[in-house]
Amino acid sequence: MAKAFGIVSSSGTHFQVKGMQEFRPISAFSFLGRYRIIDFPISNMSNSGIDRLHVYINGSKPRSLTEHLGSGRIYNINSKRGKLQMLFADMNTMNTIYNTDVAGYAANMEIIERTHEDYVVITPDYMVFTENFEDLLNKHIESEADITVLYHKTQNAKFKYLGCQVLNLNKQKGVLSIEPNLGNTKDKNIFMDTYVMKKDLFIDLVKSARKLSSVYTLSQIINARIADLDVRAIKHNGFFAAITDLKSYFDANLDLLDMKQAEDLVNPAWPIYTRTTDSCPTQYFEGCEVRNSYISNGCIVEGKVENSIVGRGCIIKKGAVVKNCIMLAYSEVGEGVYAENQVIDKWSKIIHTKEVVSEADNPGYIRRDDTL
Amino acid sequence: MQNNMLAMILAGGRGSRLHDLTNKVAKPAVSYGGKYRIVDFPLSNCANSGIDVVGVLTQYESVLLNSYVAASGRWGLDSKDSGVYVLPPREKADANLDVYRGTADAITQNIDFIDTFDPEYLLILSGDHIYKMDYSEMLSFHKEKNADATIAVIGVPMKEASRFGIMNTDAEGKIVEFEEKPAKPKSNLASMGIYIFTWKVLRKILLADMKLPDSHHDFGKDIIPAFLNEGRTLMAYEFKGYWKDVGTIDSLWEANMDLLDRKNPLNLNDSRWRIYTEDVPALPQYFGPEAVVSNAYITQGCKVEGTVKNSVLFTNAEVAPKAQVIDSVLMPGAVVEEGAVVTRALVADGVRIGKGAVVGSADSENILLVAKRVKGVE
Repeated sequence: MAKAFGIVSSSGTHFQVKGMQEFRPISAFSFLGRYRIIDFPISNMSNSGIDRLHVYINGSKPRSLTEHLGSGRIYNINSKRGKLQMLFADMNTMNTIYNTDVAGYAANMEIIERTHEDYVVITPDYMVFTENFEDLLNKHIESEADITVLYHKTQNAKFKYLGCQVLNLNKQKGVLSIEPNLGNTKDKNIFMDTYVMKKDLFIDLVKSARKLSSVYTLSQIINARIADLDVRAIKHNGFFAAITDLKSYFDANLDLLDMKQAEDLVNPAWPIYTRTTDSCPTQYFEGCEVRNSYISNGCIVEGKVENSIVGRGCIIKKGAVVKNCIMLAYSEVGEGVYAENQVIDKWSKIIHTKEVVSEADNPGYIRRDDTL
Repeated sequence: MQNNMLAMILAGGRGSRLHDLTNKVAKPAVSYGGKYRIVDFPLSNCANSGIDVVGVLTQYESVLLNSYVAASGRWGLDSKDSGVYVLPPREKADANLDVYRGTADAITQNIDFIDTFDPEYLLILSGDHIYKMDYSEMLSFHKEKNADATIAVIGVPMKEASRFGIMNTDAEGKIVEFEEKPAKPKSNLASMGIYIFTWKVLRKILLADMKLPDSHHDFGKDIIPAFLNEGRTLMAYEFKGYWKDVGTIDSLWEANMDLLDRKNPLNLNDSRWRIYTEDVPALPQYFGPEAVVSNAYITQGCKVEGTVKNSVLFTNAEVAPKAQVIDSVLMPGAVVEEGAVVTRALVADGVRIGKGAVVGSADSENILLVAKRVKGVE
């Protein structure tokens, strides 16, 4: 499918995830032990046959993200015909209101204009889902709509997806408006920030957005011009998560302990690619207990792990209990330590403090590199 | 070429004592340690030792092995001036196509290949062994001793010495005699099948060996004795560490079980000396709500919903609810269905053990190789 090039848009500074985001953008967050969030949108593109990709880098501390992406070879992108480009937007540090997706597109307009493809597929870097964009593009072309967008129907909009946008649809799935999710109603169509349109229309939208307002986003300009545009929505089925705060990050990981959901998200027919670290298998010792959990390679497990996600190279010592936790790579829970409802960031160690407990609806965060 | 040394890995053998495991693949391609193949060890050792050109001599069932080792990027052997060269027997302008008749013949038939790199030293490795070794240290030893050939040796228990090729050395470590599987061994220094040769000396001896009608064209049987006869300097380089020939089902099983030992000197978790292998896109290992695990070595893609004790599970192996895997090895993609019990067995790649089936037994003398689907019990 060479008809479209892909854009992985950046959530930039729009969301702030407590603690975690001090060290890396949301797209570089570790997910389900061995992935990073960005692996999902890029694998979706690659599996859909889109191998010319623009990945926008628009947040602070992009080191771990750029290191992870590298040449893009890990995503099975064709090494000659395909290309993964990282595009940087000029960050406005005085006022983050200026750091919109459109500002990034405008700054890289020459590169967008130079692409050969007629269509563009845009998908965000802070959402986790799988979707076949080839099918989406074909449906878009068939429908003759100007723009096709993707949404996820939820009955949970009062408590989840706050800060995301919702689609107001007519019965024919035409988009009447794109609005913020104010959390006032439970049934909502959450907009998945995913668009398919002709490249020319995309360029036109970016340019007209810049003329109207320096802080307009792509969804705002579409919303402003909705009366003149035929915008249609397609419903997404399957697992969907938006990482907008620590709680949503915590929940999205733990929700996947339901193996059915996990195998819907990652399966041999739709592989999710990531960077290997060549860590060895995990070693489990006598006296350990591991239930309802995902464990990545390179760990040493002597204690108890329950309802948790454990990243690569973690250490769980004798008598330790790790319950409802996300352990990021190379973290350690020491002898006799009890940890519950924690996000334990990379390289941190809980050794001296013997009990770290938070409530499930307000998980705790253990800072990267800290020793407790 | 770094170190002025080229490595050649002998990977042509079938490994027929591994029975059905090597029906379709050569022994170096056999899986080991959860996520690796045997040949990952010499290749990773080369990469970590700064040897950047590696020839892999393949012959038996080589399709999978050839494509596997050719993906040189896996071991980081893909920068400019480095590479993994797959070398099956080939037809040449001045010689007919002929199989490799022995380990030495495999090198002789590739003299033209080696000469293109004009190396000062040649490292000969076997694709059958599990160990971590810094070949650059062995090369320093070889140079320091002004040796024509250096053979890596490892001390084995005296009572087992008659199973190995034994090197008898003088006080300085100079090899004075080589005995293949001696009935009455005089030393316990066994050859590890790792040789460093000064290339121009070896080249001459190989060419002379080609002309001998009775030669087996084998390093152990012909080339090393020829070095000794000519009075060349052969040094024994003693290796201390983990080294295992995984030639039989029992020894392959044992080498896997060694990984369960906390003090195992192989330590695959050492980030300074990684063993590299193929990357697979699969979920991390999953443990179900009823899972029981104790003393196990488990890798990515595995799904454990039953019980796993004293066992090694390879990529994408599955243990269904109420199934038990004890003292066993499950090769990639092996599945133990609900209620089945596997004891002291090695279950081959992709093999399913049906519901409620019982295979292997705790008091068996040998490890049971399960290479075909076992039907379930209704």
